[in-house]
Amino acid sequence: MTVALIRNKELGPGSPAAWPIGTLRYLVAAIFTGFCLFPFYVIVTTALKTETAIFAWPPVWNFKPTLQSFYNALFVFGGRSAVFYLINSMVISVVSTFLAVVLGAMAAYAFARFSFAGKGHLAFWILSTRFAPPVAFIVPIYLMVQKVGLLDSHIALILIYTAMNLSLVIWILRGFFAEIPIEIEEAALVDGYSRLQIFWRVAVPLVRPGIVSTAILSAIFSWNEFLYAMVLTQSRAATLPVYLAGFSNSMGLAWGEYMAVGTMAVLPILVFTFAVQKHLVRGLTFGAVK
Amino acid sequence: MPRIEFKGVTKTYPDGTRAVADLDLVVEDGELLCLLGPSGCGKSSTIRALAGLEVVSEGIILADNNRIDRLPPQARDCAMIFENYALYPHLTAFENIAMPLRARRLPVPEIKRRVMEIARILRIESLMGRRPSRLSGGEKQRVGIGRALVREPAMFLMDEPLGHLEAYLRVELRAEIRRLQERLGITTIYVTHDQEEAAAIADRIAVMSGGRLQQVGSFLDLLDRPVNRFVAEFVGEPPMVFLPVERTGADSIAVKGVQIPLSEPLTAALRATKDSELTLGVRPNDICVVRPVPEHLNGEVTLVQPQGDHAIVAVRTPAGPATVFVSSDRRPAAGAAVGLVFASERLYIFDSTARSLLHNREDSGG
Repeated sequence: MTVALIRNKELGPGSPAAWPIGTLRYLVAAIFTGFCLFPFYVIVTTALKTETAIFAWPPVWNFKPTLQSFYNALFVFGGRSAVFYLINSMVISVVSTFLAVVLGAMAAYAFARFSFAGKGHLAFWILSTRFAPPVAFIVPIYLMVQKVGLLDSHIALILIYTAMNLSLVIWILRGFFAEIPIEIEEAALVDGYSRLQIFWRVAVPLVRPGIVSTAILSAIFSWNEFLYAMVLTQSRAATLPVYLAGFSNSMGLAWGEYMAVGTMAVLPILVFTFAVQKHLVRGLTFGAVK
Repeated sequence: MPRIEFKGVTKTYPDGTRAVADLDLVVEDGELLCLLGPSGCGKSSTIRALAGLEVVSEGIILADNNRIDRLPPQARDCAMIFENYALYPHLTAFENIAMPLRARRLPVPEIKRRVMEIARILRIESLMGRRPSRLSGGEKQRVGIGRALVREPAMFLMDEPLGHLEAYLRVELRAEIRRLQERLGITTIYVTHDQEEAAAIADRIAVMSGGRLQQVGSFLDLLDRPVNRFVAEFVGEPPMVFLPVERTGADSIAVKGVQIPLSEPLTAALRATKDSELTLGVRPNDICVVRPVPEHLNGEVTLVQPQGDHAIVAVRTPAGPATVFVSSDRRPAAGAAVGLVFASERLYIFDSTARSLLHNREDSGG
């Protein structure tokens, strides 16, 4: 919008009328950004403050940052260190995201390209798994997990997160696959590739932006999920959100360490998203046909 | 290179559309056969069935007497060129051409050698590092041709390969396709709706309409001996003129009371039929424009389209509209009253089922 406005002939960059509107836009954007980032600012600065600085009133804006809280959370605190839960979260998020994207992409391709009996019903059923609030299933799922002896295990959370992410992955990627011009795949068929080879060598590279988006969404979901992790894990497979929630009762409330762990909880997703963002390009299929 | 045979091939889509009906067609070894017809005539479905992209509903397809219509596409050794190019957008031109070779797991140096050789033949060596989005239409189709050519397939299937290109490129590329095909001797089926393209490139042309094969032959065969009214009208530019005729005797006909002199073979053919719902067919360049006199079919010139040394003249006659090809210096003015004289040796008569009487006679005569 801003670009379009500046390029507008009547309101070119040199014309005085362009400035108030442009400035206003940036001002609004800046205020909104500040509003969104303020909690992060508080989390990160609190994590970097000494205990006295945290409780100082009025709040201190100028302080000497210290990594003491991070150090405490990682190495000093009783019980397991935050690293343990960080690793749990990572293992569970990475594996469940990987499974959801691989299985989901294959299912989505089948939905997009093949016709089979009951296709519409099956697709709807997959979506319907997300209709009810997760808390509605918590008791039956707890009982099932207990019966198969997977309480407090990584596998239980991985399976549940994979199942929850699958419907999202399938529904998003189905649209991406359907948009690949069918002739490209037909060309691959006559070039001598099997359906499975075409899926991996032609279809998947062409829906890369979709795969990256769904992977980000799945990873965020798995990383942040609290309810099931809280109910189904105790210690061995507890994830970072569970650990964070445990801060308030067992330790009183160690604000500095709490915020240090909070910072560590945000960072991996941030890094992951920035790392894969370059794959979120549009128009991968441009130039294929016509 | 195989000889391809369609036997009673029928393709019915799930929605009930019958795209191809009972097709019997032989494509000889090393031949370039054009499937010619208007859009929706079943020509694309035919080659898609041959490539294995469509499953035939009935009938069989043979390649050198081996049945191939149940084989998966990758087992048929067809290379296909698509109207909209269908290149792999995520791969460079080089990798696009290399794809069929990679599917066959050829050694890497061999792949490089063959791709570069094809690129040299098609004069696209300098484009090898580009993605399809950075190629022009003509360049894309050269890459498409390269991809089809590179593995020396048993058959070449081309589905309107030049349909999206500009006129001058079409002429250039079709000559190139023909040259390569002759050099490699690969059995080729070329689908087009453009009769000029078909005439320029094909050994034989198969005309299709409504899913049915109408006639197979050289362009001149189709032009001179159309089996029915569809072929007569579809092949030849501008299209044949059709005028309803009255039967005035066992061996004579008239158009709006004007007797039409007929050649000896046509008279004989006319005698052999009892049909009275006949249509006269005559090509625009077999009609002479003369001064109007009562013994000719007369009409009024409605439109004159100069075409260089010729002009296409539209004439409204009492029997219906007629198109006449006239040399430029003798072209009449719009609104002029003219008489039309038909070259009696070059007339066609079609019966009530739209079949050519001449063709019927040839059939019954063996």
